[in-house]
Amino acid sequence: MTLLSANQLCFSYGRRPALDQVNITLSAGEVVALIGPNGSGKSTLIKLLLGHLSGSGQIHWNDQPLQRWSRRELAKLVAYLPQSPQTDVDQRVVDVLRLGRAPYLGPFGLESERDLRIVRQVSQTLGLDELLNRGIDELSGGQRQSIFVGRCLAQEPKAMLLDEPNTFLDLAHQMDLFKLLHRLSKEQSMAVLVASHDLNLAAAFADRLVLISQGRIISSGPPDQVLDPKILSDTYQIPIERIDRPGKPPLVFPRFDD
Amino acid sequence: MKRWGIAQLLLTTGLSIALWLVAAIACTCVGSTGIHWPAPGQWSYRLEPVILSSLVGAALAAAGVVYQAILRNPLADPYLLGVSTGASLAGYLWKLQFIATLLGALGLGAAAVSQQLFAFAGALASVAIVLALSSRRGRLEPLTLLLVGVIVNAVNAAIFLLISTISRDLTAVPTFLIGGIQTNLSNQQIASAAVAIAIGWILLMWIAGHLNTAILSEGEAQSLGVRIHRLRWTAMVVASLITASAVAISGPIGFVGLVCPHLARLVVGSDHRRLLPISTALGAALLAIADAASRLMIGSAQTWLPVGVLTALLGGPFFLALLWQNRRRMALAEGLS
Repeated sequence: MTLLSANQLCFSYGRRPALDQVNITLSAGEVVALIGPNGSGKSTLIKLLLGHLSGSGQIHWNDQPLQRWSRRELAKLVAYLPQSPQTDVDQRVVDVLRLGRAPYLGPFGLESERDLRIVRQVSQTLGLDELLNRGIDELSGGQRQSIFVGRCLAQEPKAMLLDEPNTFLDLAHQMDLFKLLHRLSKEQSMAVLVASHDLNLAAAFADRLVLISQGRIISSGPPDQVLDPKILSDTYQIPIERIDRPGKPPLVFPRFDD
Repeated sequence: MKRWGIAQLLLTTGLSIALWLVAAIACTCVGSTGIHWPAPGQWSYRLEPVILSSLVGAALAAAGVVYQAILRNPLADPYLLGVSTGASLAGYLWKLQFIATLLGALGLGAAAVSQQLFAFAGALASVAIVLALSSRRGRLEPLTLLLVGVIVNAVNAAIFLLISTISRDLTAVPTFLIGGIQTNLSNQQIASAAVAIAIGWILLMWIAGHLNTAILSEGEAQSLGVRIHRLRWTAMVVASLITASAVAISGPIGFVGLVCPHLARLVVGSDHRRLLPISTALGAALLAIADAASRLMIGSAQTWLPVGVLTALLGGPFFLALLWQNRRRMALAEGLS
């Protein structure tokens, strides 16, 4: 089922074009990774899809134009994790998770029994029960990222858009995060669009890769097709080599000896 | 994990009122002649300053919670932002003959434009200037915000002193400079301030759940279903309204709006649904106690010690301690991001 369909997206920062004629779709149960150099337009595309920026083109969520979604209803459908999520250092883990129920709150911030049940479920899914009453500033970078993913999950979204969520994580935590996103997409039919600089991690866990450069989509499709050394070398302006592995996505890396 | 339902809302509001009532009853026992239960004939003049100081303290503390949330700055306070002096200056201008004449010429009688409304306009004008001068590319810079607030306070004070000197009316100078609870107000003035503060407070409680998202980035808040610009503006206007209503009857009393939210945070944490009522009660109680203490300190001498003197003496060091601690918080926040 196609959840997101965006066509002919264009956006400029002043006179500087950031996105040009971009088309993208996202379906339930699918992980799509946005890859590309710094400044290529990955974050801009995500913000445009969420309506945080307004450009030209058509964006439909669940076949309904973005403009016709109220903020509250869209928040029940799509969750967003920015590159650097912000928080109050006085907050506990449980406070951060409860923020995810913001789209469902009544006047005076009243919560329903269901709100707390969802927060408990999310906490169990992510193994956060032991941390619930800990201060957010007491946790490691990996734990904090799990909690921000938990805040997104508490929204009960059908889609998650994540902007370079592995930037500040070590290798093990990057792996854990991508495994989690993959599991959510398969077990809960969640659609996941994740921007990442790690091409191999993206290829290992994504169903499709979308390579973007200078605001244009250069290539889109399964990892095997998109991770073409010639296209990547042209895009990143460095020589890139590829190792093919039978039954597994290829590995790509910069050629250091040149 | 307790659900924030109707029962929790009523319990927290009830506890807040009870906290204030205990302090208020104790304060009615304090007079210039010492501490004792009021005699039957003393109730009216003992109650009036307690009610007035509680009203002003509640308004300033509630506004402090809101400014700290929407400006994402733990040092924000109606006084430090220049809101209080802006409201106070406009409230003073309203009393002047030439303003009354000007309003009359515009077809607006004093009844149509109340002192509260005038003070509200002054508060909004000040906060608009502070926000305009302290934001760069749409982002507020915390330190610049405070510096601009200090400058706006100084300019407001200078304009006030200039006008009061020219008009040879120096009686209002102590109240303007430091703020105090006066008991020469009409019932209409007190009632209109009380109604404005009560309505404003209920509106702030209505949005308190979403105020928790105001500490996030705009993108995050929007993605949580909150129309963050509308929330910030609504909260800013309502907080300025209740500040103006309080300041119109007391002058700019400093640091209540800074100290009380932080004390409340120590008790109930950072959830604004609990923070707002508890901070409001603490503000009401603390200012009533400070006003009673100032009456007690003066004793039977035929003079008046503005309560703003005490709040500044206690709140100033608190602000410096907070500024010091804030450097750690900012370092931590940077670490988190």
